[in-house]
Parts: sequence; structure tokens; C-alpha cells
Amino acid sequence: MTGSVNKPGFPLTYCVGAAVLLLAITLFVSGCVGNDSPEERRTISVTGSTTVLPVGQAAADAYMDIHLYDEILVSGGGSGGGIKAVGEGTADIGMASRDISANEKQQYPTLVEHVVAVDGIAVIVHPSNPVTTLTMDEIKAIYKGEISNWKDLGGQDRSIVPVGRDSASGTREFFYEAVMHKEEFVRTQQELNSNGAVKQTVAQTPDAIGYVGLGYLDNTVAAVTIDVNGKPVVPSIESVKNKSYPIARGLNMYTQGQPSGLVKDYLDFLMSAEGQRIVADQGFVPVQ
Amino acid sequence: MNKMNDHSSSLSNPAGISRQKKERVITGIWLATALVAVFTIILILGFLLKEGLPALLEVGLREFLFEEIWTPTSVVPSYGILSLIVGTLLVTFGAMVIAVPLGIGSAIFIAEIAPRSVREAIKPAIELLAGIPSVVYGFFGLVVLTNWLRITFDLSSGATWLAGSIILGIMALPTIVSVSEDAITSVPQEYRAASLALGATRWQTITGVIIPAALSGITAAVILGMGRAIGETMAVLMVTGNAAVIPDPLWNILSPVRTLTATLGIEVGEVAIGSMHYHALFAVALVLLLIALIINLSATLILGRIRDSQMGTGKPPILTHEVKEKVKAVCLWLAMILLTGAFAAISGPGGALLFIGAIGTYLLIQRITTPKITEKIAFGMVTAATGLVLFTLFVILFDIVSNGLPAITWEFLTEGPRDLGRSGGIFPAIIGTIYLVIGAIAIALPIGVGAAIYLNEYTLEGKMTKIIRTGNDLLNGTPSIVFGLFGFAFLVIFVGLGVSLLAGQITLALMVLPTIIRTSEEALKSVPDSLRHGSLALGATRWHTISRVVLPAAAPGILTGTILSIGRAAGETAPLLFTAVVFSKRFLPDSVFEPVMALPYHLFILATNVPGAETQKYGTALVLLILVSSIYAVAGLMRRHAQKTVRW
Repeated sequence: MTGSVNKPGFPLTYCVGAAVLLLAITLFVSGCVGNDSPEERRTISVTGSTTVLPVGQAAADAYMDIHLYDEILVSGGGSGGGIKAVGEGTADIGMASRDISANEKQQYPTLVEHVVAVDGIAVIVHPSNPVTTLTMDEIKAIYKGEISNWKDLGGQDRSIVPVGRDSASGTREFFYEAVMHKEEFVRTQQELNSNGAVKQTVAQTPDAIGYVGLGYLDNTVAAVTIDVNGKPVVPSIESVKNKSYPIARGLNMYTQGQPSGLVKDYLDFLMSAEGQRIVADQGFVPVQ
Repeated sequence: MNKMNDHSSSLSNPAGISRQKKERVITGIWLATALVAVFTIILILGFLLKEGLPALLEVGLREFLFEEIWTPTSVVPSYGILSLIVGTLLVTFGAMVIAVPLGIGSAIFIAEIAPRSVREAIKPAIELLAGIPSVVYGFFGLVVLTNWLRITFDLSSGATWLAGSIILGIMALPTIVSVSEDAITSVPQEYRAASLALGATRWQTITGVIIPAALSGITAAVILGMGRAIGETMAVLMVTGNAAVIPDPLWNILSPVRTLTATLGIEVGEVAIGSMHYHALFAVALVLLLIALIINLSATLILGRIRDSQMGTGKPPILTHEVKEKVKAVCLWLAMILLTGAFAAISGPGGALLFIGAIGTYLLIQRITTPKITEKIAFGMVTAATGLVLFTLFVILFDIVSNGLPAITWEFLTEGPRDLGRSGGIFPAIIGTIYLVIGAIAIALPIGVGAAIYLNEYTLEGKMTKIIRTGNDLLNGTPSIVFGLFGFAFLVIFVGLGVSLLAGQITLALMVLPTIIRTSEEALKSVPDSLRHGSLALGATRWHTISRVVLPAAAPGILTGTILSIGRAAGETAPLLFTAVVFSKRFLPDSVFEPVMALPYHLFILATNVPGAETQKYGTALVLLILVSSIYAVAGLMRRHAQKTVRW
């Protein structure tokens, strides 16, 4: 055995040195980034619906640009998760793209509702799909599995791929009530965990059909015109505003009791003219 | 093996008595750390049982396991997980079909056929495959593979069983390749020499002598790979479509499926705590743990049997030669039928006929060719297998690097995220990942090394060590999502830490603990007893010997294991999903009780939730890849250095 028993040798000292260096750099750098704040830095967390998420995040970004020492953490996860979080106290504001259910009202009786925007749910297909208009019954039949080929709707002879949301989604819940009339979805429906995921999947899959909040529409997907009793209605901010679009709902933020502190400041900002302008920028309908 | 009594405590030596007390205290400490692994597995099992039992009782074990319909949120909820179990099994089976031939073929190539320079180049490349985080695989699968499948097979959607199996196969490959390759190279040269001397070709030597001799190692490799595939969450979650159906017909590899792990990953985050759905998810975790346990146990059993049959311990083999031949024949027929079905599913009867034709041609050729020609063909196929593996690595790396490089700007690396991550940077995520990893290692390293010291230095093999080792093996085989679930239910909710850095660190620590214990044990074992005996003979106490002689000598091995664990901890998403992470956070955390951003989670959310963030996605994937790869590269370098300098 060569005389290297008690000397750790090159790897050990090297690595300990590297670790210490890394630690030092991390601590030094983290000290340089926005952490030199006064004692009363306020933090709140906002969680829930991925439909409301862009509004919540954009408003939070704008608010934080003005108030440099407040922190608003925004995350997604679904309306169900949002209401549960604010009810249990693990978040300060719960975002939901549906109204609170009777069950939840029973469990969390002290939640207060604030309507921050109005949104439509657009049914989307791939831009190359020749089918551009559907009735509410046809949409329901597709999601029930009764219509499974585009040719039955005047399109190509291809199987329909229904894409939907997961169980925590307020968008899904609202779609379930307003379009499905509480009848069951077909079991081969793909379940994705956000509006963004649905949009991405439909944009990549020529035979897919999905539903997303209005704010997620862009030119990678085609919004289906809804045939309401013979009249075609295009999903847009105007048609939601004048109530001609049949699939529309209020977007809510729930708080535990009446809001105070940073929660109140944030909500007031969101309901102000500037906040509502942010709502409109994100593709939603401002509350009157 | 090294249990000499400490004779330094003679009654006439008062200093010796306090020394003995100190020794006892230290022994106690290490015993306590060794018990942590057992304690953790008991805690995890206990918690899962406590939370999962209400669902099993309410729904009934039979309905739960054998009903197909999983709709926990409909008006009349249904909690049957048969389609989920089938999904897990099918995806794993498909992954093994891909990974085992390619893996063993590559291992043979590296060990037996490749010249040294090629071998030196290929081995690190395959280990690089092991270092790629699962969320990066999922991302690649989501963006590239499903699209390619959809176009190639003219499907409605590429999110299929096949996509899941391909990705899992690629993820299991490095494990199978490196463990098999180790097993093959450790077959003594005499075997090869004897076989060649008898006139066998190299290929006949490989198939007839070397592989059977290395069988236990290869079996271990396959089972480890299978464990990896079964426990994987993020990648399958992103590519299989998550439709809880049983493919109809069963061999339709182009049908979407959902695995047990994906169900946990999707639904735990939003479930209402205390509801029946919540309990049902814990029951799912129990089933998952049970499957992992069965695999572990059968691995130990099979390996034991193989070892017995090879070393002639006198136990009669359960499979006689005729039975083995019959089983082989049955397996081959089954494989043929299944593969024919697969080809039929993809390209109709034409494809199936082609496949049968190919098999027929192969059998015919075998009859009329000489061993030399067979060897050439076989070597060609094996080289092709390795080439395919390397090609896959190249494709993945190229895709990520080429799309990700444009995103790497100074702003990207030093700013926080803005506009849902579509602009700005990922700095808090980088720091969050570093914090998480440092915390996890700070917790796991002392406990892991302590447990290894206890197991190796302080006890004889007995009941206690067997229990501790079994506990450790169980912990090792536990899927990472189960750790996440446990962390959520226990640390976040029960202990009340909330979604916090600390909860994430503890969860990650528990996840890497078995690896650290195992690698530390191996390192300690490799220190020869003569060193210990010499030190004790000079009058040192046991702890003195360990701390001054054994540990420094074992340090390189321990450090390699630590660094590998760092790499794993940095890349994992599932344990963090519900315990530590938030999507966007402007300030860095002030305390360990705040949530953090983390690179793998950020990539996951960008890839699945945020449209229009193309460059940011690839940029995050690239940064994560570079971070984890450099950690693994350092580990590899250190291991090579240690192998050169430590000479006994």
C-alpha cells in the first residue's frame, strides 16, 4: 500500500473545495438578487384555475413592478385545488373558473367570492380541419362518444380524438354542466392538466377537438363557430359580452372572509381600471 | 469479517473505560442511522396503509383491483384500477422488449467486441443517457416522439402505449447496459480461453459460456431496469395520453394507456384531502409499492437460485434441463405471437406476414450456415444494436442542444420568470435546485454513511443486518412518486411544514438514501481487512480505526456515490411536485419554510401548461441537462481517478 492512507488525496480535497466555493457563490449571489428588502415584506399565494392563471400572473407582475417589496406567488393546478387551498388556508387566494359547489360551500362556509373577469369556453379544432361549425348537441355527442368520425359532421373520414381536462379543472366542470348536461364523457378522452396542454395537443393533432378558455385562443388552433338555433356565433369578447355566446362563465377569486392587507391591495388593483385592462389584454371580458 | 474485540478497556486503565464509553456511544449513533432506513420504510408503509385502507374497505379489495373503470370524480364515482395496472404492466413489458435485446447486445459489444479506444468512448456516452432527467425524456417524447409516431403511422394522436414503451426503454437502457457489461467483464478469462481452445467461435463462446456465466448479473440488470420502468412517472405522464382504458385488442400498441404512476402524478395535486378519492390514490400507491416489492423479492429469489445452481450448493434446481428447454420454447412462441400481433396492429396482415417470413428466413439460414457466418451476422446485429442506442442518444441531445442554445442568454440565467415563464429567465429555479440538492445531501450523507459504517464495521451478518438491508432494498425500489406522495401526506400536511423547501429536501434525502448506503457499503467493503487489523493491532479503538484509516481510504467511493445521488436529486420532479415547488417566485426563499422554484418542475410546467414558450422550454431543458451531466461527469472522473490511485 503506497503512503496514501491518511491523505485523502486529490479527489477529496478538490471536491470539498469545490463544494465550499459553490456554496459561497450561491450565498453571495442570492444576497444580490432582490432580497435586501425592508422588514415588512408581504407575501401572498394565489393558486387554482389555469384559466384564471394568466390573468392572475399578469396582474401580479404588473402589481409587483409598482410595489417592489411585495411578493405574489401564483400557481396553477385546477379550480378544485384552488378552492381547497384557500379553504384549508394553504393559500391566500383561490382562483376558480367555475362557481363554488354546494359541497364546497358546506365545507368552507367562510369563503367570499370575487368575480374578476368573464370568460367564454371556446371549442377548438386543428386549423386544417374543414369542420368549422357545430351545434351544442353535436359537441355533446362527440364528447359522449356517439359521434366518432369527422365524416359524420361533413369532414374527412378520420377518427375524432376528443381532448379534455382532468378532474380538478373548473373548465371541465363548467363544460360538464353547460355542454354535457352532466352526461358522462367518453372514456377514451385524453385528460390533460391545463388549458395550455389542451391547446398544444389540439395544435399538434389534426383530428383532435378540445375546449379551452377564450384567453388561450391564438392562430395555432381554430375556434369552432357555435350554431345556436341556426345562428352562427363566433366565440369572442363581444359575443361573450352581449351574451350571445352560449358557453360563458364568470372567473372567480375566493378569499377566506373579507380580504385585507396585500390580498385586498391585489384584488383592488385587479378590479381597478388598470387591472381590468390587463384582463382584456389577456383575452378575457372585463367585469363591467 | 473485521469484528475484533476492543481490548483497550482493561480494568487497570481508567482512560480505557471512558474510551469504551465513547465507543459505545458512537456505536449507538451509527446503529441509529442504520435504523433510519428501516424506520422510514415502516413509516411510509404505515402512512400509505392508514390513508389507503378506508378506500379499500369502502370499495372492496376485489372491486378495486379488478374493476376497469377509474372515474373518481364523476357523479357516481368508480374506483377500479384494473386499467391502470394493465397500463403499467403493458408499458413496462413493451419497454423491456425494447431495452433488453438492445441493452444486452450493447453490453456484449462493449465488453467483447469493441476495441479499447471505442469502449472508452462509448461507456461514458451510455452513462450520459443515465444522467438525463426523466422530465427531459418526457419533454422530448412529448414534442418529438409523439409527433413522429403520429406522422409515421398515420394516427390521430401519437400519445400511445408505444410512445411510453419507447421512452421507458431508452430510460432503462443505461442501467441494463452498464450492469450487464460489468457482469460480462467479470467472467474470468479462463472461461473464454478454454472455450476458444476447444474450437468454438467467439460468438459461440459468448452465447454458450460467457452469458450463462454472467447470468446472475444480467438478470439483476434486467430486473433493475424493470424497476426503473415501473417506477417512472414524469415521462409516461407526458407521452401516453393518460386515458384509463385497456387497449382493445390487448396488443394494440397504438392505443393510449394510463399507468399507476401517472394517475398519482396527475391527481394528487388537486385532490380534496380526506375525500374518498384521496384515500383511493393512497391505495393506488400501495398497489404500486406492492408491485415494486414483488419485483424486488423475485429478483432476490432468482439471483439466489442462479447463484446456487452455479456454485453447486447442493440444492436441487427447481428447473431441470428439460423443463428449461420447454419454458424457452414456450417463451419463444409467445414472443413470436405477440410480436406478430404487434406488427399486425401497426401495418395490417402484410406486416405480420413479413415478420413471419423474416423468422422463417432466419431459421432457414441457421440451418445452412456455418458458425463463422453466424458469428459475422451476430456481431453485425450486436454492433447495430449499440449503434441504435448511441443514435438515440445523439438524436435527443441534438434536439435539445440545437433548440436550447439560442435561449441561453445572460438574462435567461440571471433573471426571474415573467409572463408565465414565456420571457425573463430561470435564475430562481437554478438556485432552488441547488438549495434542494444541498439540503438533501446534508441530510442523507451523514445518515447514509453512518448506516453503511454500522452495517459494515460494527456487526456480523445476522437478523438485524438482514432486516436493515431488506428495508434499504425496499426503499431503493420505491417509485419516486410514492416518495412524493409520502412527503405530501406526512411532511406537508401531517407535520404541518406546508409546501416548503424543507419538505422537498427531506423527501429528496429519503429518495437518495438507499443509493448512498449501498455505494458507501461497497466502498467500505473494498478496503482490505489487513488495514483494519494493522490499526487495531497497534491499539487503536474501532472508531479510531474507522475514522483515520478506513474512511479516508473509502472516501473516493463514497464521494462517487454522493455525486451520483446529487445528479439524481437535481433531476427528479415527482418527489417535488406536491412538496416543495411553486411555478413562479420573484424572490429567493428567505427560510426553509418557503416554497421554491426548481428546474425540473419549471420544465414540466412550461412543457405541459404554457403555450408559446418554445425557446424557454428548450433553454430550461438544456440548462438542466448541462447541470446534471456535469455532475455525472465529475463523478465519472473521480471514479476513474480513484481506480488509478488506490492500489492495494
